[in-house]
Amino acid sequence: MIGRALLFAWIAGWTIAAFAWAPLVPVLGETTRVLYFHIPAAWITVLALGWSMVHSLLYLRRRRLEHDDHAAGAAEIGILFCIAATASGSLWAKAMWGSYWNWDPRETSIFFLLLIYAAYLAVRSAIDQDERRARLSAIYSAAAFVAVPFLMFVVPRIYFSLHPDPIINPRGKIDMDPRIRVVFFALLIGFTALFFWMLSLRVRVARLERRGLAAQGGAS
Amino acid sequence: MIGNAVVLGVALLVWGLVFFYLVRLERRIKELERK
Amino acid sequence: MPTNPSSSAAAVWAVLRKECLSEWRTRYGLNAALLFAITSLAAVSFSIGRLGDRSDVLAGLLWIVLLFAALASLAHAFVREVEGRTLTMLRLVAAPTAIAIGKLLFNFLFLALIEVVTVPLFLMLMGAPAPRWGSFLALLALGSVGLAIASTVVGAIISQTRGRGALFAGTSFPLLLPVVAAAVSGTRAQWNGGSVDAELRLLAAYAVALLAMSLLLYDHLWED
Repeated sequence: MIGRALLFAWIAGWTIAAFAWAPLVPVLGETTRVLYFHIPAAWITVLALGWSMVHSLLYLRRRRLEHDDHAAGAAEIGILFCIAATASGSLWAKAMWGSYWNWDPRETSIFFLLLIYAAYLAVRSAIDQDERRARLSAIYSAAAFVAVPFLMFVVPRIYFSLHPDPIINPRGKIDMDPRIRVVFFALLIGFTALFFWMLSLRVRVARLERRGLAAQGGAS
Repeated sequence: MIGNAVVLGVALLVWGLVFFYLVRLERRIKELERK
Repeated sequence: MPTNPSSSAAAVWAVLRKECLSEWRTRYGLNAALLFAITSLAAVSFSIGRLGDRSDVLAGLLWIVLLFAALASLAHAFVREVEGRTLTMLRLVAAPTAIAIGKLLFNFLFLALIEVVTVPLFLMLMGAPAPRWGSFLALLALGSVGLAIASTVVGAIISQTRGRGALFAGTSFPLLLPVVAAAVSGTRAQWNGGSVDAELRLLAAYAVALLAMSLLLYDHLWED
């Protein structure tokens, strides 16, 4: 439980630092603080998807349901972070540039990730049997894995060439001030730890559910 | 100034709630795992 | 189970023939898909009218109509299979990969047939400028290949779930989007006089990558 308390203090402490210690980014003004939340959320969205897909492939290889637990768990938690990233990004865009959504390359990419998460979870929800659900969703995950590089990098560029926008996104140029960088990476680490903690809980629940069903089956 | 303090307060509150929810969840899981 | 190349090719051909024959017997799927494609085209044309000078909008609309047609028509292909229980029979005589390729070829032909009707109608109804036929047809061909590859694998997955049409549309969309994006960009470019090489390369790369991955996956698809 010391680890948990440490995580709590870590995130709380660095959040306070984000407000009280780190300076503002000149271009962003008061909205600077959103980046400490929004960018880590987006990073974890990608991490979670990668984790989920790797475990899908591992499941197809080794057929151990633990891999399916990880694939599903990472997807369920990942979509939460994805929604958080999308929403915070949208609010940030509204505050900065006056419109909630612009289909600029980053917004487009995060939206596609949201679609993939949703599609994966939709496939899972349409199957009742454990093994079949694990197998078919893993297959979909593997297929989506091919699409991701195209969706993340190619399609947004295509959109942007079709609809060039005068709004330029300066996000690439932040993290100049070392204090900002420190707080950012500290919170990035903190959120990553939070993700893996949530994932471990989710996986343990899945294992318990399977054991509970097995116990019922054995008793009857 | 005040606005910043409010946002910070809300952020910490939300984090606190999330954290305690997860801790409670973990306790229940540990209980069930012991059985 | 046939494993050598000549019998695999024979298996693919047999699957393809079987699909074509069973579709031709009722023509239900083809009729429904054609009707759907023409209806969406009519809806677009009626509400928007002629767009001779807007190559960007035209390109987008064309591929949206084709996307809808693909979603409507390919969803039923596998459903028919499972409901007819002929899949079990097929799997007794052919390797999963052969079945998949056969179905893929059938889906591609199906799409091509829809496009033969829909695309000229689109060009006429929407008052589109004359396309650069070489580039235009290449984009249509490669785009349709990509649509067919993605739809075949997603259809195979969905046919084993409780979900049907809506689930198929939602889950296939992320996989179809790269095709649509590249195709729209290329179609617009060929109307504006630019080069479509980049888009064709993209379509080809995506088709190859997705095909390769899906061929590896089909063995896992039909196990019980």
